[in-house]
Amino acid sequence: MGVKARAQALPGQEINVDEQRRLGVDGLLPSTMMRPNDADDAARDLRACDLVPAAVVVWGGGTQMRLGNPPRHYEVAFSTGRMTRLLEYEPADLTCRVEAGMRLSNLQAALRAQGQRLPLDPPHPERATVGGMVAANSNGLSRGRYGTVRDWVIGIAVAYPSGKVARAGGKVVKNVAGYDLMKLHIGALGTLGVVAEVNFKVQTEPEAAWAMLAHFGAPAPAIDAATKLAHQYLAPSAAIVLDRDTLSGLLPPPLAGEDRGGGRWTLALKLEGYAREVEAAKDLAARIVREAGGRLEGQGVPASFWDAARDWSAPEDDVVLLRAITPLHGIQPVIDALPAEAQTIAQGASGVIDVRVPAATAVESVSRLREAAGAEGQVVVVAAPVEVKQALDVWGPPPPGFPIMRALKQALDPNGILNPGRFVGGI
Amino acid sequence: MQPSDRERVLAQIRGVVGDRYAFADPYEMRLYQYDASPETALPDIVVIPGTAKEVAQVVKICADAGVPITARSGASSLAGGTVPVEGGVVITFARMDRILEIDIDNLRAVVQPGVVNLSLSQALKPQGYYYVPDPSSQGACTIGGNVATNAGGPHTLLYGVTVNHVTGLEVALASGELVQVGGRNAAEAIGYDLTGILVGSEGTMGVVTRIWVKIQPLPPVQKTLMAVYPDVATASNAVSAIVRSGILPAAIEMMDKLSIQAIEAASHAGYPLDAGAVLLLEVDGTPEVAEELGERMAKVCRDNGASEVRVARTEAERQALWKGRKGAFSAMGRLSPDFYVMDGVVPRTKLPETLAKIDAISERTGFKICNVFHAGDGNLHPLVLFDAFKPGQYEAVLRIGDEILKLCADAGGSVTGEHGIGLEKRENIRYVFSDDDLEVMDRVRRVFDPQRLMNPGKVFPGEGLKPSNVPMPPGYPRRQPGAAIAAGDDVWV
Repeated sequence: MGVKARAQALPGQEINVDEQRRLGVDGLLPSTMMRPNDADDAARDLRACDLVPAAVVVWGGGTQMRLGNPPRHYEVAFSTGRMTRLLEYEPADLTCRVEAGMRLSNLQAALRAQGQRLPLDPPHPERATVGGMVAANSNGLSRGRYGTVRDWVIGIAVAYPSGKVARAGGKVVKNVAGYDLMKLHIGALGTLGVVAEVNFKVQTEPEAAWAMLAHFGAPAPAIDAATKLAHQYLAPSAAIVLDRDTLSGLLPPPLAGEDRGGGRWTLALKLEGYAREVEAAKDLAARIVREAGGRLEGQGVPASFWDAARDWSAPEDDVVLLRAITPLHGIQPVIDALPAEAQTIAQGASGVIDVRVPAATAVESVSRLREAAGAEGQVVVVAAPVEVKQALDVWGPPPPGFPIMRALKQALDPNGILNPGRFVGGI
Repeated sequence: MQPSDRERVLAQIRGVVGDRYAFADPYEMRLYQYDASPETALPDIVVIPGTAKEVAQVVKICADAGVPITARSGASSLAGGTVPVEGGVVITFARMDRILEIDIDNLRAVVQPGVVNLSLSQALKPQGYYYVPDPSSQGACTIGGNVATNAGGPHTLLYGVTVNHVTGLEVALASGELVQVGGRNAAEAIGYDLTGILVGSEGTMGVVTRIWVKIQPLPPVQKTLMAVYPDVATASNAVSAIVRSGILPAAIEMMDKLSIQAIEAASHAGYPLDAGAVLLLEVDGTPEVAEELGERMAKVCRDNGASEVRVARTEAERQALWKGRKGAFSAMGRLSPDFYVMDGVVPRTKLPETLAKIDAISERTGFKICNVFHAGDGNLHPLVLFDAFKPGQYEAVLRIGDEILKLCADAGGSVTGEHGIGLEKRENIRYVFSDDDLEVMDRVRRVFDPQRLMNPGKVFPGEGLKPSNVPMPPGYPRRQPGAAIAAGDDVWV
């Protein structure tokens, strides 16, 4: 079939050139677009794609679209943009049910009105959707304290290429009926089905919060202090170690230019909890920092700093972002292996180290970091221009258990229409 | 299995584990027909492997011969999870009970599946750390079994259940391969979250041979309170008030009048005999915070109808309060020769109306029903008291159980919060999942186990024997009469 004839045979609305560009992924452009109204509608639309079969890329807020290998094919842009409702929310139960296309900031606003929150903080919450956060397993700086997406999702509705919607989990906080298919879709990048609805448990907003910056001459003592804090009963809700250039980029102009007395590395710390708890933890944190040779910055930390630090890991432009995931004792070797031109935010309480490197040296940086992360670590290219992606596998070598992963893909998406080629091992 | 097949498979298995650790004598195997549920079924062969490699080889032999495999360790399942309903081979982990590694620096530990839950926390305690999930049976149940059922416990209210504390698994697949899935690290691993899907799969996907868990620092102080209420409705409303107050308790447990009477008779925990309901509440924290939260929680309890709030002043007082709760099921033997326990969940706000409906069922049927449960997360454990020697009572009690699970599901809840579907609730699963939902789950299962040999007859409806079809002469008890008493400390929830 010719290109034009094939485009006409595709389901969905045809799109104009501007939309095509906006919805491009790694240089591939879609021919049509689908915008289902709800879960059932999404399943019907997927079935139509499966019959062709036409390759589908799911779009939420688009904040994580640079994650993954370049797609093998891409014909239909599948948008959750019409699925934006908060379907159920019972504050006294601390649970809610949300359509996948709802913006995370809108969900948080609804929760905040009741003094509650979802303690997940992925980048760009004003654009990121709930479904996208789940599909990309997008987490923020608080994962060391509150865990990741998998710890807060209690139920899910997924549209499959078979045309069916299937649910798993439920609406209660404790539930072991049936398989926990939520786990399968979290971080699957939409390769096993389209997440249509998500049920969360939520929590009461903390009573008090406190933040500080402490400056160090070298990264090692800053990481040590962060790790020590992670071993306390009240673990910090963020404990990040960053280099001076990264710090300057995250602070508002008057602070950004400030001299930090030779402090080339900074530990930024946030504590949350009951008022008295934070009060006590604060003193302990200050002591740990001083014992490690850190110098506490006198003035407070602007709120904008934490938002900027969170968003730093999902860069907008052609910046390359690498993520190393290691045991806590593996943080230092990764930092030691950083190329001179790299910028970094290392999460001392969880072993996640985000690194920005120039595109020109990205491939070499990846292999250096993979070596430094060792057998227990992993390095993922979270965002990169297509030329960089073509020169390596963004996920690294397939993990053990990969044959099962491939078989799961075959079982749930037998025609391979969902995000083909973008996931681990070419799934 | 046919006798000749059994001999052949037994010989192959003995070639792997040695003669001593595989047997098929019906007398020796009698122990392995039970767990803590009423149903029983005899396996064809029992194997006690010593290494993960042996497990994988045994699994391969079974898969090649088309023989069912049921993994078992503490066998404290209340849902028949380890009863080998389709016969075949039972693999038990009595010899694989070692803690392989404790790594305080990286906040993790590695254990074999047969490690008893409590013994890991005991091993960590001198260093000030613990493994969080604490099923009431933690003195007997194993971490392997906890992984299979995604076990909970009183303190999962604040800290999450088993899946939130397991980062990786080594698993023997039907293919005979030994695969490590997930990460050794707490942060996210790449690829599909196979660890997450295996936890709670009730042994239907593979046999877990090694487990990577997170550990965390012990709370400096645990403050325990008992609040006394005139009835369960008032107590339930107090639970909602506490949850909304901004306090995040580590545990909120409820006991109703009948349970209190049984517990007091058995363990003298100090619960007032004239109370309609008692809440047992616990907050964790640093000394100054625990003290303050205890006071705040006591105030919320009083403002919401508590006639008395008692705070445990010493560790001994705290242990006494918990002893009553953890021994609640054994205590039921004081009230009745047998009981049947359920594990429904409802949204917290639906507790008062659900408990009222259960009460109405009790009135209508004449069977006494006790309630001892994890109120903070809406996880009910109604216990229907009966006498298995009286004809028709066991069947009537199963019908009551079915009705209670239906009303939990209709209230927006679930048919199991922590015990698992097992054998017991495989028909009830339809109250919460459609055929389409179950079909996707079965597809996932067959990826791991194409022949459906792993713990067959569990989780999914319409497989194997239905409880009502289990051959049983009318009126004949499954348990020996008085089993609930005889079971003593062996029954927990």
